[in-house]
Amino acid sequence: MRLPSRRVPTVAGALVVAALALAPWGLSPFLVQFLINLFMLAALAESWNIIGGFTGYASFGNVAFFGIGAYTTAVLLTAAAWPFALALPAGGLLAMAFAGLIGMPILRLKGHYFAIATLGVAETMREIVYNLKITGGGTGLTMPITRSPLPFFYLMLAILVAATLVNWWLSASRFGYGLIAIREDEDAAMAMGINTALYKTAAFALSGAFAGLVGGVFAYWITFIDPEGVFRVIVTIQMIIMAVFGGMGTVVGPLLGALVLASVSELLSTQLVSLAELFNGLIVILVVLFMPKGLAEVISKREFSLKKLARNLREYGV
Amino acid sequence: MALIEARGVTKRFGGLAAVSEVSFDLQDGEILGLIGPNGSGKTTLVNVISGALPYSGGEVRFQGDSLRGLPPYAIGRLGVSRTFQIVKPFRNLTVVENVMVGALFGAHGGARALAVARHRAEEVLDFVSLTHRAGAAADGLNVPERKRMELARALAMRPTVLFLDEVMAGLNPSEIDAAVALIKQIRDRGTTLVVIEHVMKAIRDLSDRILVLFHGEKLTEGPPREVLNNPDVVSAYLGRRYAEQSGA
Repeated sequence: MRLPSRRVPTVAGALVVAALALAPWGLSPFLVQFLINLFMLAALAESWNIIGGFTGYASFGNVAFFGIGAYTTAVLLTAAAWPFALALPAGGLLAMAFAGLIGMPILRLKGHYFAIATLGVAETMREIVYNLKITGGGTGLTMPITRSPLPFFYLMLAILVAATLVNWWLSASRFGYGLIAIREDEDAAMAMGINTALYKTAAFALSGAFAGLVGGVFAYWITFIDPEGVFRVIVTIQMIIMAVFGGMGTVVGPLLGALVLASVSELLSTQLVSLAELFNGLIVILVVLFMPKGLAEVISKREFSLKKLARNLREYGV
Repeated sequence: MALIEARGVTKRFGGLAAVSEVSFDLQDGEILGLIGPNGSGKTTLVNVISGALPYSGGEVRFQGDSLRGLPPYAIGRLGVSRTFQIVKPFRNLTVVENVMVGALFGAHGGARALAVARHRAEEVLDFVSLTHRAGAAADGLNVPERKRMELARALAMRPTVLFLDEVMAGLNPSEIDAAVALIKQIRDRGTTLVVIEHVMKAIRDLSDRILVLFHGEKLTEGPPREVLNNPDVVSAYLGRRYAEQSGA
């Protein structure tokens, strides 16, 4: 048996990235903005996938890292007058360090307890930012306006590509196998020689780094941030929905999930905002019932049937 | 010097001493049978030695170095591996991927490269006669296959000492004979073994020595013939009445 060939996905991926890189010249400003938003959501989904999909720790607080990245970049940009080229990596680094530090204690928790703890971390971060002077408190921070969307377009695309490559590396590396083993059975993973505490923390930090970078670009792109707008629980929920919908622990799953969700909610929100939110809820129900392993699995194995629905309903005791 | 020296190993859960002052030596290259009735502390002893549970007292030395206080992964890397009585497969991975994890980590950090680990995993699967299921999902294995995969994962770690916790439970007689032959081969390849088993025929055929636990304490220790005919062991296992009837 040979390892699966990586040539086909490499070529396909390179072609898609090349096409996207040329996209701003052929598309309307509206579609360019849509793509920036799509890249952002997809990058967040891929970043969540590292801890939630590969490692099996369902974080409900990844928006904390997004927010730390956004605020660090914004504060350095405005108060400290750093160039964006330095402020952005600083935001990513701080988010990574924070994820690593907070991860050490809370990654000892499992399942629901971990989920609730991460939710608490994100809520606490919002309150802290709300009460700090340097972050502008409740009034928020305003950044200088950049007229062209192109820097944001390429930065978001670059972060998305990097996050996807990291997920791809995880899917076929010693480190990635360690994370998957932790997800599947942590006691067995530990007995087999995996330093589970270190691996989980590293995965969380990596996840936090990407969320932080996305947050930094988001802040400068949107030019105004405040605690209510940045530390929104719904942002974490969206990361989870996109990863779950597309297929947790797969490389393309979060991309598919982001594409479908961003497109549909964009279409629906032009009609009615609440309709878009309804759609998110509907997606969760449909995924749980029809395809617990996500869209990627359905496409690759063509597993979609009423029989499966019946089986899933039985398993949930309906 | 013995490969493993256990001295006064004790594990208490509240007021209950699950393992009490157990001492034994494990010599390089031997197969030690570990027997005792249900609840006598066999699995708890393995859990303490492998780092899954903290000690209440005592110490275990491996090649002269204390294992007490080390986390399970560190003990695994030193070359002391174990299987789980209730097998813990990585359900969403294939059989060969399950075994690869053992090869990627395991003793001395294992193989760094995926291709090397896969090659090693395939060798081990061939050794335990599970090659035909290599690509199958671990979730779809039957009981004997699961036991073999559990064994294969531990072997892929290339351990110096391997604790097998009831790898024969649920197997039929011919499968047990195959497992006995397999375990002997593992020893012949240079791995020292501690075998926990309830199947007496297998224990008699396999063990160079047998250690008997009863209510967490070491009841006796010695060559199979001697230990299995010991009246105390017979009555611990089968009840006093059986011991009297059989005239042991």
